[in-house]
Amino acid sequence: MLGKGDYDRMKEQTSSRLFLSRFRKKGNLKGVQQTNWIRFCGFLALVLLLPILVNESFYLTKATFAGIYSIIAIGLALLMGYAGQISLGQAAFYGVGSYATAILTTTYGWSPWLSLLISILLPALLAFIMGYTMSRLSGYYLAMATLAFGIIVHVLLLEWREVTKGASGFYGIPSMSLFGYTLSQGVSYYYFVWGIVSLVVMLSLNIVHSHVGRVLRSIHDSEIASSSVGVETGKYKMQIFILSAMLAGLAGWLFAHMSYSISPSSFSLDASIIFLTMVVLGGSGSIWGAVGGAIFITFISVVVHNLGEQFTFITSDFEQVIYGLILVCVIIFIPHGLSALLYRRSKGSY
Amino acid sequence: MLLEVRNVTKKFGGVVANKDVSFSIEQGQIVGLIGPNGAGKSTMFNMVSAVFPPTIGEIVFEGKNIEKLPNYEVSRLGIARTFQNIKIFKNMTVIENVMVGLHIHTRSSMLSAAFFSPRTRKEEQILYETAMEYLKFVGLEGLYDQMSSSLPLGALRLLELARALATKPKLLLLDEIAAGLNHKETKEMARLIQQIKEKGITVFVVEHDMDLVMRICDKIIVLDQGSKIAEGTPKEIQNNEDVISAYLGADIEEKAGEGA
Repeated sequence: MLGKGDYDRMKEQTSSRLFLSRFRKKGNLKGVQQTNWIRFCGFLALVLLLPILVNESFYLTKATFAGIYSIIAIGLALLMGYAGQISLGQAAFYGVGSYATAILTTTYGWSPWLSLLISILLPALLAFIMGYTMSRLSGYYLAMATLAFGIIVHVLLLEWREVTKGASGFYGIPSMSLFGYTLSQGVSYYYFVWGIVSLVVMLSLNIVHSHVGRVLRSIHDSEIASSSVGVETGKYKMQIFILSAMLAGLAGWLFAHMSYSISPSSFSLDASIIFLTMVVLGGSGSIWGAVGGAIFITFISVVVHNLGEQFTFITSDFEQVIYGLILVCVIIFIPHGLSALLYRRSKGSY
Repeated sequence: MLLEVRNVTKKFGGVVANKDVSFSIEQGQIVGLIGPNGAGKSTMFNMVSAVFPPTIGEIVFEGKNIEKLPNYEVSRLGIARTFQNIKIFKNMTVIENVMVGLHIHTRSSMLSAAFFSPRTRKEEQILYETAMEYLKFVGLEGLYDQMSSSLPLGALRLLELARALATKPKLLLLDEIAAGLNHKETKEMARLIQQIKEKGITVFVVEHDMDLVMRICDKIIVLDQGSKIAEGTPKEIQNNEDVISAYLGADIEEKAGEGA
């Protein structure tokens, strides 16, 4: 039982908290989701240190891939966690970005820096068209449309041989240079990719923790309440979808110039499902979860590769089985992903 | 006239939820919309707040036809609402909920947010402080950093009210704001609604609590089976024969039907 004194004490505590709140430093918005910059610095330190710890080129290439996948996963995590939509066609945007730069730089001799624009804007345009025709992006329509889009793009890459060179893949993509320094597979490309990942993480965290991010979360919670306070819910969902397509395009650009050759098999439906697995594993709506999921899935492919060297019965198809298992286990045991496990204590802070 | 509803009919398939309803609301009043369950009150509210359009008829707000506008535009014109079955943003803190309510007064885009521009930062600070003012107005300032999912019903109703007020409406629609509140909380709510009126905001309420309606309303509109059967001051309504028979009759049937 609460006595009268308890009530008074409770009241006092509340009012003293309010009293103190007046002296809070300006800019410290308690009770509002904010970016944990210490975590970000820790992440930067890890990124910087890794090549010193691991200098075998195979692992470094895999780490670079993890970075490229992180960028796609972040876009998809924003789409799934903030706009509440599922895309089964991220690999297609990734492929469009990749082939756009491959064709422009190799066939037409453009500078990779110029084709970067096209690699980002073309997926954005496609996302805009797709989002616009389904004006309000509700329910599972986007998932179905992106699924179809992914298949169409994959077929196009395979069959439009004059331009894409078909199933055998596109060869001879030039590597790029930055300030006269050639970026090639290895340490330099690793730093280049992870530098961009860091930038993407930073910008995404800013969006997520801004008014725009808050509005997006509100749409996810209750679309009708959100529009009743004047939020153009369709517009925001569209913006996030376009952003996710742009990020996938950027990843495609990075991938093309890292590899001498690209082939349609990297951009199939399988790849889209793997990106989805990364996000589900990390926890949709969590930027760090997306990066973690991308790293974890890449790590598994490395493990399978190493096991395959010792046991001949383990082929790369084994990866698909493991990804499937992970997806099932995550949905059953940790439906909110790894990030939810880690953040259970600090509720509400991402 | 702030709001005029002209000959509005709403059909859902074969069901006629509202039949040829007309009424008007003057600036600065508190107007009540009452009637037995199924009278079409919520349907009318949803049309005024543009959740869905009427089948026939016009809704005019400040001389402008709003019946075909999407609801985010209607809220920008100055109509805000609360919901009967509370629709709060559960995964946000109390103050974040109110900050979303301030959305139409913000200008920062996704791009400026991404680069965390000084303008965005300043705007965030202003949003925070303004939201705190609204929380103080409804008396929830002590809970500002709590997750809204952890609040009791009374506080949730107040939070929804604060969020609606944050849009700075000219017309505030309250859909059964006192439902589920105890006697003391209802009294407090009545006081708040009076204060909102004093700020110059016109209030339109759907309410089952007759005490509350009779105490605060300047005018009452009565619906029964989709049609308007009476309109007038609380006194007039209390003495209206049609209202008494329709309302009480329906009420008795309803109670027998629900077994409540």
